[in-house]
Amino acid sequence: MSGGHFLWGGKPITFETGESIAVAVAKAGVRDLSAGEGGLRRYFCGIGACQNCLVTIEGTLVEACLTPARDGLRVDAPEAGHD
Amino acid sequence: MTERQPLRCDVLVIGGGAAGVAAAAELALAGLSVELAEQRDALGGAYHRQPAGRPTAVHARGRRQWSRLVDAFARAGIAPRLRHVFLGLDSDGLAMLDDRAEGRVLVVRPRALVIAVGAIERVLPRPGWQLPGVMTAGGLQMILKEGGSPPPGDILIAGNGPLTIALAADLARLGHPPVALIEAGDPFARPAAALRLAAYPGLVAEAAGHLARVFASPTPWLRGERLTAIEPRNGRLAATIRDRRGATRTLAADLIALHDGIRPNDFGLPANEESDIVVVRAGDCREALGIRAAIADGRHAARQVIALLTQGPSIADDDAVLRQRRAQAVLGDLFRPIDGADPLAALPDETILCRCEGRTFSELRAMLAEGELSPREIRLNGRFGMGLCQGRFCADNVLHLIAAARPGDPAEPPMRLARDRWPARPVSIAALAADDDEQRES
Repeated sequence: MSGGHFLWGGKPITFETGESIAVAVAKAGVRDLSAGEGGLRRYFCGIGACQNCLVTIEGTLVEACLTPARDGLRVDAPEAGHD
Repeated sequence: MTERQPLRCDVLVIGGGAAGVAAAAELALAGLSVELAEQRDALGGAYHRQPAGRPTAVHARGRRQWSRLVDAFARAGIAPRLRHVFLGLDSDGLAMLDDRAEGRVLVVRPRALVIAVGAIERVLPRPGWQLPGVMTAGGLQMILKEGGSPPPGDILIAGNGPLTIALAADLARLGHPPVALIEAGDPFARPAAALRLAAYPGLVAEAAGHLARVFASPTPWLRGERLTAIEPRNGRLAATIRDRRGATRTLAADLIALHDGIRPNDFGLPANEESDIVVVRAGDCREALGIRAAIADGRHAARQVIALLTQGPSIADDDAVLRQRRAQAVLGDLFRPIDGADPLAALPDETILCRCEGRTFSELRAMLAEGELSPREIRLNGRFGMGLCQGRFCADNVLHLIAAARPGDPAEPPMRLARDRWPARPVSIAALAADDDEQRES
């Protein structure tokens, strides 16, 4: 029950049990969730309402703020998710 | 993907916050079969948010009352359907739930639907509010409640209303006081409202506790001031702050939390009048009155559902809810902005209005200059209110700007601009949402 690591754009991010992808990424100091410069993906409302924090997990778009972090998960910025 | 046989129950409750859990427990106690869908992996809603399987570092007021409520809910034998996102109610009275854990759509046929999906924050558009590192005050509070500590960097809080003080106090308690707390109002300049607040000793005690914590911290509480613009500077954020005399200065931070009040999260929800089944809203998504009203309002919604299902007499308003309505009016007066001018009146052209698609004020202005466009045309042609958030963070502002550009026209309700049809949440079934858009535009 001590969390683990997932990959954000290939980079390992530590999380604690019960944290969402968005909270773990924010605590790691990542602020821009866009694939490139000038994108609009970022953490904003934290309650699944604004849809600004959409990320790709195994090809599916999900709100990072609603999705529990899991050990070994591969999470990517949306535009980079289909390479 | 879709199950053929719908799940049947008397009542489906959407939302596992205080109002939803209170409604579900009350309904189960009355002998009805109840299903509850919650989008996250734990009950609690925004207010009682906590990490699943771990105690939280930030303690919300009323935690014991919440624990008793969750116990009652569990004793009633309801197993909440966690990670189930409500997609909508179809014309046959079938409710669609996106089961995120299983990656399938669950179809439910309830006799009644209770919707308790809470509030969203009002955030005034400002130049730079779309930059990374800018979030809502509630969004930052969610990180504290769920993660136990803030993201790295200096934090600036700006906006209007008591929630910003609670956030500043939480940050101070965690050893990360914000660089400043910018407040458009000035409660010290509203003695009449302050006197009326004395009728609500619980609110006074809570506010005093938060304020004492802020005053004991290095954080200045800058009242009568507005954050008017944000720009990136040297890898950080530079915020322009305007005081009540109109003088401006710049404050630097890594993160900026904005908050200009709350409103019901009532976008894309079915209405009782237009549905085959009984639909009742509970808690902040019915009327944004906060946590103190939520449990009472949830129970009230449950009694209303029972009355509607049994064709019983209509249910009187709940006293606790009425009291919180009055309290919110007092708080509104107490925090009324010192600068009475319309904060959107002097919005620079390049300001983003639609966060989803990056649509700007100048694009809206160009559309308005074309002539008598309806809100629907502004939505379809200008794509305002068409983004993935369904207008939650632009509809109020865009309609306000349209009204300001056309004085004398009757005000339009926000839903005229919002995507008022299901799916309420398009993302997880991207293909269906795309089809929906294509059909509407063709």
